[in-house]
Amino acid sequence: MVSLHRTIRSIQRVGFREWWRQMQYICDAKSGTYIGKDQFGNRYYENRNGEEEIPGRHRWVDLAQHDYNATQVPPEWHSWISHIRTEPPTNDAVMQNLTPPWKAPYVENLTGTRGAYKPYNTVRPKYNAWEPKIKARA
Amino acid sequence: MLFSRTRLVLGLQPRFVLAPRANSIRSALVAHRLISNSSCSHAQHQHDHRQTLEHLSSKIDERHSHNAHILPAEVDAQGNELNPYRHGPSALDKAVHLFFFTEIIRGMWIVLENFFRPPYTIMYPFEKGPLSPRFRGEHALRRYPTGEERCIACKLCEAICPAQAITIESEARLDGSRKTTKYDIDMTKCIYCGFCQEACPVDAIVETQNQEFSVENREELLYNKEKLLANGDRAEAEIAANLHSDHVYR
Repeated sequence: MVSLHRTIRSIQRVGFREWWRQMQYICDAKSGTYIGKDQFGNRYYENRNGEEEIPGRHRWVDLAQHDYNATQVPPEWHSWISHIRTEPPTNDAVMQNLTPPWKAPYVENLTGTRGAYKPYNTVRPKYNAWEPKIKARA
Repeated sequence: MLFSRTRLVLGLQPRFVLAPRANSIRSALVAHRLISNSSCSHAQHQHDHRQTLEHLSSKIDERHSHNAHILPAEVDAQGNELNPYRHGPSALDKAVHLFFFTEIIRGMWIVLENFFRPPYTIMYPFEKGPLSPRFRGEHALRRYPTGEERCIACKLCEAICPAQAITIESEARLDGSRKTTKYDIDMTKCIYCGFCQEACPVDAIVETQNQEFSVENREELLYNKEKLLANGDRAEAEIAANLHSDHVYR
């Protein structure tokens, strides 16, 4: 059970519907400023008021998928939500300047699915099975 | 307390002194009485023993009772009572009781306070604890901004790797530059010491801040060059920003 006052305050701010969604996923009533949304539809929030959120819990993500996991956060937002970068990638000049044009699309950890990584050899095998070569008879 | 104890000692001493003298007469009288009263004659041999015990009373009952310390009120000439707290429990008794009782209350109050406070638990997939830009997680191979891969197959990382998790094979490409054909990292061997990225002269192999690469099969942790390059291609912005934020300290 969380603080009753905090719960009521959060419901007043985010509305009953959003609060219900939070209780299904984050299991806690939280309210803060909307920071941004990534390409997968995950929404990011922040509340830097130390009276309302414990420091360390002041950044959170509302993951779009029902079957959520931590790797659905793309790397740019991962560095924001892990408190590595101060600014979110939407207005982080360093992050935007260093984003190369050949950046590959992000995929989450696909282990356990058909898209899982399967190791293979990247060089020619050093020895092969014997393939007998028979000269045609004259 | 001290006063009553001296009285006890003083009160007992005369009896000890007198006891041997009066013993013979008194024992005879008691014996006569016991014989006349008791129906059981074989208890006689205990007379003397019981008589001496009578004098050696420990007064334990008196001292255990709560009224032991009550003495007649001391009143001075004007009729004012002296030392009015004599009849109550001692200051030490009161302090002990107060301390142990309020200790329970105070402990329960802390529980109650935290019941109404926001929880400290970090709800993991949604909120995350802080990471350093130097955090050493999953490996990645980087590229130059032109898209050319950085690794020059110098094999310094392979040489320094304390767990010998890295395997490299190289060939010269058609344009004459030496590139790796095989760059395998056995992530089950890796101890995440970060020596490979320290050793790398071109910042090709780095450890990203990704720690969520758990897999279901062991073979999925045997990374090859394609996998490492794909990691770098996805996370290049984050890697470069971290290197940028730390470059003044390196």
